[in-house]
Amino acid sequence: MPATEEIKARDGERKILATEIMVVAGARELHDGEVAIVGLGLPEMAAALAKRTHAPRLSTLYEIGVMNSTPKDTPVGLADSRTFYRATCWSSFLDVMGMNLHRGVVDAGFLGALEIDRYGNVNTTLLKEGSGKIRYVNGSAGGNDVASLAKRVIVIMRHEKRKLPLAVAYLTSPGFANGRSREELHLRGGGPSRVITDKAVLGFDAKTHSMSLLSLHPGIRLEELTENTGFPLQVPEVIPVTPVPTAGELRVLREEIDPKGVYLR
Amino acid sequence: MGGKLKPVSEVVGSIPSGSHLALGGFAIARNSIVVVHELIRQRKENLTISQGIGGLDTDLLVGAGLVTHLIMGGGSLDRFGPIHCVNRARETKSLRFEDYTSLSICFRYLAGALGLSFMPIKSLFASEMLERLEAGDGPNDVRRFECPFTGEEYVLLRALTPDVSFVHVQIADEEGNCQIRGPQWENEEQAKAGRRVIVVAEEIVTTDYIRRSPELTVIPGHRVEAVIHQPFGAVPTAVFGCYDYDAEHLRAYVDHAREPNRFKDYLNKFVFDCRDHWQYLEKLGGLRKQEELKADRVLGY
Repeated sequence: MPATEEIKARDGERKILATEIMVVAGARELHDGEVAIVGLGLPEMAAALAKRTHAPRLSTLYEIGVMNSTPKDTPVGLADSRTFYRATCWSSFLDVMGMNLHRGVVDAGFLGALEIDRYGNVNTTLLKEGSGKIRYVNGSAGGNDVASLAKRVIVIMRHEKRKLPLAVAYLTSPGFANGRSREELHLRGGGPSRVITDKAVLGFDAKTHSMSLLSLHPGIRLEELTENTGFPLQVPEVIPVTPVPTAGELRVLREEIDPKGVYLR
Repeated sequence: MGGKLKPVSEVVGSIPSGSHLALGGFAIARNSIVVVHELIRQRKENLTISQGIGGLDTDLLVGAGLVTHLIMGGGSLDRFGPIHCVNRARETKSLRFEDYTSLSICFRYLAGALGLSFMPIKSLFASEMLERLEAGDGPNDVRRFECPFTGEEYVLLRALTPDVSFVHVQIADEEGNCQIRGPQWENEEQAKAGRRVIVVAEEIVTTDYIRRSPELTVIPGHRVEAVIHQPFGAVPTAVFGCYDYDAEHLRAYVDHAREPNRFKDYLNKFVFDCRDHWQYLEKLGGLRKQEELKADRVLGY
């Protein structure tokens, strides 16, 4: 992921990476005492940072049947034994996705996305190439379940025009489909609350359910954002700047959570 | 061989073509490769495969052209890459694909395991999976339904009762009492939904050993028809506490699976040209490789 332009860390040395801003923004969405379902990569980094800073009592659940693990080596995926290390509970889909998520006790769920549209619908199933050819990828796994049932959903992804189209090529995980409320869609979970990209933090308008700009990352211009978004964004009159990571947050991220720079690069 | 221990060739030989098999692997973990290779060698065709999260096991069977119907919640080889053979089969529409989610597959097995004919769920609404299932991919497996007590809308999922369920475990005794270390994903529901349950164990222990920690027994012996004993039976996928995934081989696999012709080369070299799993393990580097992959006792990988 490209570094945001010309941002200097507060320690005056290393440039702050876009991924670091994303992870910090993700961490700030999680509150102490909450229950979160996380996936690997940036969501995992965000949850780990939140636990080590403002939310030590955050519970982190992995769909495979793992809770509160603290990987020592970087896992390649959920099924990697490294993800199981020093967990407080080993159980199952039925426990994590059923008796926790379906039961309604999961506050926040993280999702990645191939595409997200203006109503927060997420596609992780297929890509339509320019020629019209369809390429299938991983599918839903727990994504649709999390999107349907978590109290709120946080999407972390790269900001590119093709990844934020007016309508997704395949609706894997529903947001506010067709601009409708969650009740109308028969969904219990609250739906998408934040989309955190390498350019901005976005939310959803309470009335129109359409994606709106909440803050631009330092050094990103509004035109750059709108040019890279495939639908009209609701933009506030005064646009806040996403808070820069503190020196403390950067230290934890760089020295403890991802010292080898596997995800934070 | 005592108890229910059987050679893999005999177990697979007893499975008719056209069967519905439920596989217990998850991406790059606990895939019963020893069984999958034997299914391919014995050319068991027209298979229906169901699985929560597909991995190398399902990709091999689909790539070998043995699968006509796939019921899955998703799948990948994690960071090593996608399941190319499955994705290609979807693109060319060469099989019937029922696309679900992790939890909906788990609930379908749970219904089967409980002897219920369906299970309600609050996922799938407003998704294209549900739309496609209703439109023709699985019209007899899903229904919208209003709860007679609360009026709430549900999707009803039809029970899955596979003809044969395979589960790959760390230890089992000869009667099939088996214990899984690490997370279990949907293995318990998937196994107990099966009409026949086959356990593949890395290690056979005595029943006295099982009796030391019976709380860890996931599938009791009386539900198990046969036990296949095969150390390193899931290679190149990982078995927690036993061995790590073989990254080098998984990379080579993904590289071959990307192209149908190269996939054939892979099958010839690692399946058809191998007499049995031991010969396959030799090709992968034998004892030296196994020693490298063997799990650290504290880390479990």
